[in-house]
Amino acid sequence: MTALGRTWDRLTLPGRALLILVPLLAILLIGLIVVIGLFGGQILDILIFNLPIVRFVFAATVLLLLSPPIAFVIIYMEMKVIALMNLRIGPDRVGPWGSLLSTVHGLKVLMKEDFTPSRADPVVFTWAPVVTFVTMPLSVLVIPFAPGLFGQDFNIGLLYFFAVGGLTVVGLLMGGWSSFNKYSLIGGLRSAAQIVSYEIPLTLSVVGLIILAGTMSLNSIVQQQGIWIDASGVSHGSGWFTDWFALRQPLGFVIFAIAATAEANRTPFDLTEADSEIVAGFSTEYSGMRFGFFYFAEYIGVFIISALTTVLFLGGWNAPFPFPHISWVVDPGSLGIGLLFVVALVPLLGTLLFAAPFYLFRSKTRWWVALIIGFVLFNVAVAGLVGLWAYINFDWVAGLFWFLGKTFTLVFVFVWMRGTLPRVRIDQLMGFAWKWLLPASLLNLFITALGVLAVDWLRKGGA
Amino acid sequence: MTTQTFPTGTHPSADDPSVLVEDDYAFYEPIPPYPPRTEREAEFYTLGDGEMFLNMGPQHPSTHGVLRVVLKLDGERVVDIDPVLGYLHRGVEKLVENADYHQTISQVDPLEYISSLFCEWAPVTAYEQLLDVEVPRRAEYIRVLSGELNRIASHALFLGWFALDLGGLTPILWSFIERDEIVEMLAALTGQRMLFNYYRIGGVNGDLNHEFMSRLGDWMSRAIGQIEAGTGLLNENEIFVRRASGLGVIDTETALRFCMTGPNLRATGLPFDIRRAHPYSIYPELEFDIPTRTEGDSLARFLVRMEEVKQSLRIIDQCLEKMPDGPIMAKLPRLLRPRPGRAWAAVEGPRGMYGAYAISDGTDQPFRLKIHDPSFIHLQAVGALLPGNLLADTMAIMASLDPIMGGVDK
Repeated sequence: MTALGRTWDRLTLPGRALLILVPLLAILLIGLIVVIGLFGGQILDILIFNLPIVRFVFAATVLLLLSPPIAFVIIYMEMKVIALMNLRIGPDRVGPWGSLLSTVHGLKVLMKEDFTPSRADPVVFTWAPVVTFVTMPLSVLVIPFAPGLFGQDFNIGLLYFFAVGGLTVVGLLMGGWSSFNKYSLIGGLRSAAQIVSYEIPLTLSVVGLIILAGTMSLNSIVQQQGIWIDASGVSHGSGWFTDWFALRQPLGFVIFAIAATAEANRTPFDLTEADSEIVAGFSTEYSGMRFGFFYFAEYIGVFIISALTTVLFLGGWNAPFPFPHISWVVDPGSLGIGLLFVVALVPLLGTLLFAAPFYLFRSKTRWWVALIIGFVLFNVAVAGLVGLWAYINFDWVAGLFWFLGKTFTLVFVFVWMRGTLPRVRIDQLMGFAWKWLLPASLLNLFITALGVLAVDWLRKGGA
Repeated sequence: MTTQTFPTGTHPSADDPSVLVEDDYAFYEPIPPYPPRTEREAEFYTLGDGEMFLNMGPQHPSTHGVLRVVLKLDGERVVDIDPVLGYLHRGVEKLVENADYHQTISQVDPLEYISSLFCEWAPVTAYEQLLDVEVPRRAEYIRVLSGELNRIASHALFLGWFALDLGGLTPILWSFIERDEIVEMLAALTGQRMLFNYYRIGGVNGDLNHEFMSRLGDWMSRAIGQIEAGTGLLNENEIFVRRASGLGVIDTETALRFCMTGPNLRATGLPFDIRRAHPYSIYPELEFDIPTRTEGDSLARFLVRMEEVKQSLRIIDQCLEKMPDGPIMAKLPRLLRPRPGRAWAAVEGPRGMYGAYAISDGTDQPFRLKIHDPSFIHLQAVGALLPGNLLADTMAIMASLDPIMGGVDK
């Protein structure tokens, strides 16, 4: 028996796994370095040559990975905001102010039993949440988060968004049909009726906007709400929020907001999961992570609808006012040897500076508590400074800041509506879509087209 | 009827997990397993073209207790309903016959558990008629005071549940703040939060105490504002008004034919209130209006109840102002043996006429105590109101009638 054999016998299971994995990884790493060293240029060439595909794969992966955290944030927001509106405390146990509770919910649904009713159609039942969930990251793909920060810039981006977004209903209908439960069936059919009805005013309400913008690319639509230079080199826009399409298409904006609420199955249009009528609608029979997929899909849907409203009507990444151009160049190299002193001394001095008032003016504070407070405050200040520097120097940071700010404001409005409004009835819902929203969106389209024609006629000198 | 089940013992293979076993209990059909016993049952449990049964309850999120309703649906529209009662039957009326007169008060307490003081008030008044007891005036004032508080608590809960059944999340939590404060102050007075067991034959159990009075004073100073805020959240809301108005309309004659009383009857325009029509206790000495509306729909029932809350606050103010000194219990022997006879007493509860019919045979136990419960009466109207409405409105109509299943099933 060799030494390796004796060691192998003494090892636990994780130890044995490590004993195999570590050399394997080392060999792979060396191989990777060798391959990159020898063929790095060619690989890079291939990647650059196929940039759209690489970009698509990368963006899809990132968006799929980002979806659960976004859902967690919105679920926590909903729990906490509705709790405050209800004069409750809301989540306050897990994490600071209960902020990790939605994450724990996510872990909980992962660990729960994944139950299939005996009379359900197992294949359809299993695939329904997947279909619902996958459409969500797919529709995020075309949303421009910031200048240069978007998955794909299709010239038919808006059309793609509506096409993919409409697929959600297939998943809901599959879940409702296959559950072998009448509540689920009613919920699924309600969602089908509702989403099919509201697709029409939703799509028609943005046609006026498309006429004004002259494009369906979401990227160009956002650009046209800020300062931009068109193909003939003429500069448009003032940089103020008056350029946003919400003010140029107010009726379209209102119709879009209402139809989007229905499209996202949110209160007051959450008939598909009306708990006082049909228990939980299409997700009545679901448990475990399959239910979790439905749940995540709903909240990511809220985010996506808010993001699309921001992009189309609220200026996307554009700031509401023209930001003065500030030059703030940080060149650490110019400090020379002084850089070392800055790195060594500034944290120390900063911590002491922030800690001093707590120690000096509050006699009950111990020195080490004051030091901890000072250190935290110093870090907050430094993070703020770095953020400000990034905001000034990088377009995409500023864009992301405004985009997320507007989007989450809209998410808050959705949550606010949930806390305030009762639910409408199904006949009121359908009647509202067909009798009011559809004629109103047609009217909006008509007025916009007429306005565009009139402006053209006036520009040509009224001849 | 499309029920297909395997008779017990003839499963394809009960032990082989790869075979889908369709057990009798694997799914649930609302159709009863026995042949129809009445013509009505046979008619109801026969499906027409394109119709389906939907079993709602007893474990449905919003059936107000354990009511089970089998709905016959045509799409979303309700064609017919069959309520199945008895899931909360506790045989209280029979239990009462084996308890002495004092013990019966705690037996009838949990009938309408939202407003238990009225469950005690009616039998206690009936017993007092049997015994020819004069209740001290201070005791009567305390009864009215606590009873009206209980009425407000009950109506506050109604506001919350009604909104919840229409999909509003917030009103129930707002109204629970008020209800909880009332329940806490009644707990300070009676010792219990829910089943108070406070009224006694010939008086009440305890005198007003400091904690109750200070809580009441605190609450009265802000009660109107809080209740108007909660009401305003609903009746100034376009969606709520559109859903509740014209929903479950009932006219005065139909309501009378169903023996409906209380706010549900007053919402149809008839100002019938036991407190005025057949005065009891000290109500003739108090000033209050009887709010009515003429629409007879769910919104009217809601608004009448909210107006009643304001009238109750008026009554409480007057009670506090006129509260006399004196004893709180009549002098009675410990073991009561009323003369043989019958007595009927009715009080105006939050849901309507709450009556008790007591028969004494001269022993220390009542021979019979019949409870007339408004919830049971009002639940009958559901069968007339629901058909033709949408599935979404079943719960809203039921909630607007405000039945309490504890009182229905007894």
